[in-house]
Amino acid sequence: MFKELDPILHSQLRLAVMSLLISVKEAEFTFIREKTNATAGNLSVQVQKLKDAGYIEVVKQFKDNYPQTTCKVTPEGIKAFEDYVKALQEYLKV
Amino acid sequence: MEQNEDQLTAHSSLALIESMINKAQNRFSENGTLYLVWGWVVAICSLSHYIMLTFTDIGPKSGMVWILTWGAVVFQIYYSFKHKKQETVKTYTDEIINYVWVTFGISMALVSFIMAKLGTWTMLYAFILLFYGIPTFLSGVIMRFKPLKIGGITCWILSAISVYVQSREIILLLIPAVVIAWIIPGYSFRARIKKA
Repeated sequence: MFKELDPILHSQLRLAVMSLLISVKEAEFTFIREKTNATAGNLSVQVQKLKDAGYIEVVKQFKDNYPQTTCKVTPEGIKAFEDYVKALQEYLKV
Repeated sequence: MEQNEDQLTAHSSLALIESMINKAQNRFSENGTLYLVWGWVVAICSLSHYIMLTFTDIGPKSGMVWILTWGAVVFQIYYSFKHKKQETVKTYTDEIINYVWVTFGISMALVSFIMAKLGTWTMLYAFILLFYGIPTFLSGVIMRFKPLKIGGITCWILSAISVYVQSREIILLLIPAVVIAWIIPGYSFRARIKKA
């Protein structure tokens, strides 16, 4: 019996964002946008979904009078990501 | 990146994860500036100290030339503050490397104090070279950057050699140490950034 893949993570852009954030301590929205080549609008929507799921923490603040959004993966996010990778490995029998 | 609800296969999911992790990890924030500043400052101070001791009658006061390192400390504080402001991502690698150098700074201050009170000045140089090697080698391992690893090992070899150089020439050992450990890697970082 295969585990069901987490629908929150099983989406191209959300998975890309989570894979980036899992490798770093925290990243600014601009960094994520640059690495994923996503549009700001689409990325905002997906970041919000990950935040609502409790997988990432989003901090909005001002830096030199400009708004700055910083994202960081949460322990729940790490657990979900690990489960997702394990489920993928089961599918592929890695 | 395409729209979010694209169908992903297990294979493409794994490939995507791998590619994004690589993109994050291959990021190289080190541009070599601080390695170059410290390398040149220590090299200039060592050479000036030796020249003043050997060719002038200034005597022990020539050690005052090391006050120049305070200028490097001020520059480092200013530079780190500015660099932090420009950062768009914080990696675990950067954080660990920062702590390695903080540990080095504290250890150097303590060993200088202990040696000044209890040891001899020639012993101080052996310990300085030993301590130069630690953060340099560790940073090379963490960043997988060979010039730093070679630099760290060179400092340790020079530390062992210093035991046999119990004269004022011991000061000159700092020059090959900082050239190989910091100045060459510093320019290598610059070249790498330029290439990228």
